[in-house]
Amino acid sequence: MNKAQRIRGRKSEPRSKFCGNCYYHDAYEYPDLIICKLRYPNGTDFVVSTLECCENWEPDPQECFCVQEALEKRNRNSVEHHKE
Amino acid sequence: MKREDFLRESVVQMRLNSKMTVNELIQQFSNSGCFGAGRLSTACDIFEQMIRDDECTIFLAMAGAVVPAGLRTVISDIIRKKLVDVIVSTGANVVHDLIEALGGHHYKGHWLVDDSLLYGYHIYRIYDVFVPEEDFVKLDMVMADMFDEIARENKGHTLSSRELAREIGSRLRDSNSILRVAYEANIPVFLPAIRDSEFGLFYRFHMKRHSEDKLLRVDAFKEVSEIVDLAIKSPRLGMIVLGGGVPRNTIQHAAVTAGKGLDYAVVITMDRPETGGLSGSTLEETVSWGKVKKKAAKVMVIGDALIVFPMMVAAVLERLGDNFVRKAV
Repeated sequence: MNKAQRIRGRKSEPRSKFCGNCYYHDAYEYPDLIICKLRYPNGTDFVVSTLECCENWEPDPQECFCVQEALEKRNRNSVEHHKE
Repeated sequence: MKREDFLRESVVQMRLNSKMTVNELIQQFSNSGCFGAGRLSTACDIFEQMIRDDECTIFLAMAGAVVPAGLRTVISDIIRKKLVDVIVSTGANVVHDLIEALGGHHYKGHWLVDDSLLYGYHIYRIYDVFVPEEDFVKLDMVMADMFDEIARENKGHTLSSRELAREIGSRLRDSNSILRVAYEANIPVFLPAIRDSEFGLFYRFHMKRHSEDKLLRVDAFKEVSEIVDLAIKSPRLGMIVLGGGVPRNTIQHAAVTAGKGLDYAVVITMDRPETGGLSGSTLEETVSWGKVKKKAAKVMVIGDALIVFPMMVAAVLERLGDNFVRKAV
């Protein structure tokens, strides 16, 4: 089973509270940064980490891989950091 | 007509060789004179005639995703060489010009792909071209800021799409950008369907940040007089269409409103006439409206503009030679 199949297999699972799982996001620097479409019109702090979260969080009705890939990347970086 | 009139010119079988140039291949197409080959060779002849006609204003209509797929530099080069005088484009083609101007890219993809997977990766598909979402997002931000600046500088003055395109072109630094090259060459760019593209989102973002009195003002009707006046001033009118749609009819409307009709017309399309839609309508049908003259040099090439147009341009450039300079109308 490849990564995409694994991720799609989890469709019914509740989504973790991350900006990258929020309805109001677009990719900015995939997978690390997203743009918050709620904050952007106000012009403040609209580029946020995929793994952050705020009180306006709305679950995304469609599946994307931002959080999955950002978590994997963070874990990879953490392992590499420990190796050093 | 008599029987012999139908049998006047025989098909000459094509001959190919390993050293032939694009124009030599087109000459072989002309010898055949049949099907797409014949139409493409006629299109090259008509394009060359337009260019060599010192009194002809040449309009280029761009619809369909010709910029994402790779025609951007072909178009900016012919603008730079002044082989066209007026551009009429969908907003979308200019949006993709801007994506590249700001460092974004279009990627070779495939039409057989799991689109839900692309969705998950925030990648958009244009048939077999992929575009990352972040290129659009970053463009939205840059363009909303640019709209802020243009609005500030114009202080409530209402712009046409031509004026807006010029304002944007003046702010770009990419020497391959269609808008930048058009600005430098003083070639007008009309965007008659501007809101039906990412431009609509640029405006929405800009709008959400400002009160009514500080908004950029663009009047969709202002350009009508501008383009019609261009047609009125031009002794003769030529049109090259990539695709069709709104850009094609904007030119045709200008021609008929100027009371002239087009003298030259080349339409490259894969659309069909049976729907009554303008992208597939034949040039004969266009004659019935007075938009194209009955005696105009005209041809419709049924084919992919991404194949046909570069061949057309390459053949005509070869015919003109490196030292050719077109006289301004």
